[in-house]
Amino acid sequence: MNARIKLLALLVALATSSALMAQGYAVGDAATDFSLKNVDGKKVSLADYKQAKGFIVVFTCNHCPYAVAYEDRIIALDKKYKPLGYPVIAINPNDPAAQPKDSYEAMQARAKEKAFTFPYLFDDGQTIYPQYGAEKTPHVFVLKKTGNKQVVKYIGAIDNNYRNATEATEHYVADAVDALLAGKEPVVSKTVAIGCSIKVK
Amino acid sequence: MRPNRLFTLFLPLALLMVSCTNNTKSDTSNAESTPLAEVKVVQYEALQAAYSKQDNVLYVVNFWATWCAPCVKELPDFMAVNDTFKKKENYHMILVSLDDVNNLETGVKPMIKDLNLAVEHYLLDDVTRMNTWIPAIHPSWQGTIPATLFIRNGKALHFEGGPLNKTALTGLIQSFLQ
Repeated sequence: MNARIKLLALLVALATSSALMAQGYAVGDAATDFSLKNVDGKKVSLADYKQAKGFIVVFTCNHCPYAVAYEDRIIALDKKYKPLGYPVIAINPNDPAAQPKDSYEAMQARAKEKAFTFPYLFDDGQTIYPQYGAEKTPHVFVLKKTGNKQVVKYIGAIDNNYRNATEATEHYVADAVDALLAGKEPVVSKTVAIGCSIKVK
Repeated sequence: MRPNRLFTLFLPLALLMVSCTNNTKSDTSNAESTPLAEVKVVQYEALQAAYSKQDNVLYVVNFWATWCAPCVKELPDFMAVNDTFKKKENYHMILVSLDDVNNLETGVKPMIKDLNLAVEHYLLDDVTRMNTWIPAIHPSWQGTIPATLFIRNGKALHFEGGPLNKTALTGLIQSFLQ
């Protein structure tokens, strides 16, 4: 009996946690705009990009080895797709009180060091990442402008080999954006990969 | 004269380098000779086979990495809980490192030794198929670690996609062993 009650409590807990997980965007949802501080001190919103066809929103950070492994690839994505209408917008979702390496000052230093070609925004107060449903760093959301909405078209990893870019055989984000540019829907619209959990105090 | 001088200059440096190399080597061989630091490097299928046996044993499978601070933080609790249950025949704990295999000797094994992680160890070296094995291990897994799978006879009983403290881990194991 005791075991049954425990199992029941467990199932309730399970249901609650999966309900929590269900928050955040699914492919097809309209994503929120934001006004977040960039490493240059200026606020950045999606609405600032009048000419963009969409966005490659990357939740990333300084401290996570997976995020670091992908830095050069995020720069390459921005360089390739910004002129085509899909700029990268990077957002650090971590609370520096929980991970000091992800402080605003550390973000500024890293952006300078790596010569980021894209805005690197600080989700101060951690209000944006939960709306998107970002779970980890790096975690990508490809958005397509549709009327006055930003529709989520892809959620997941950048490619299938964090360790070695040249050995990646699936280029999920590039394939998704290429499909959108060709007026098609991405064939793969959701992937999962190991990443660093978002740090909350 | 000149070669001699050069020699005198470089000898201490050379000795230093040799001694450093020796230190590293002896550390590694120590780690290897300790049963604690036996780590099976596998792909997903072999790992899945290891925790999906039809043997009525509850497998507690924790996914971790040396670079993951919340993982490393919960491991002492996991060891304490394992000490409570390890004599039971119907219980077994497995740790699965998601570190880069190139970090096995230099990072994973030393940490296993330092933290005295006396359980069965695997390193899942299957980086290009994450999008296959993450949902196969559990459909609710979003890819963050720590994560812990509770499974018996190949049937998942619970999946925890975040950290577990001693009380929660003990409670889960007890409820599944009753």
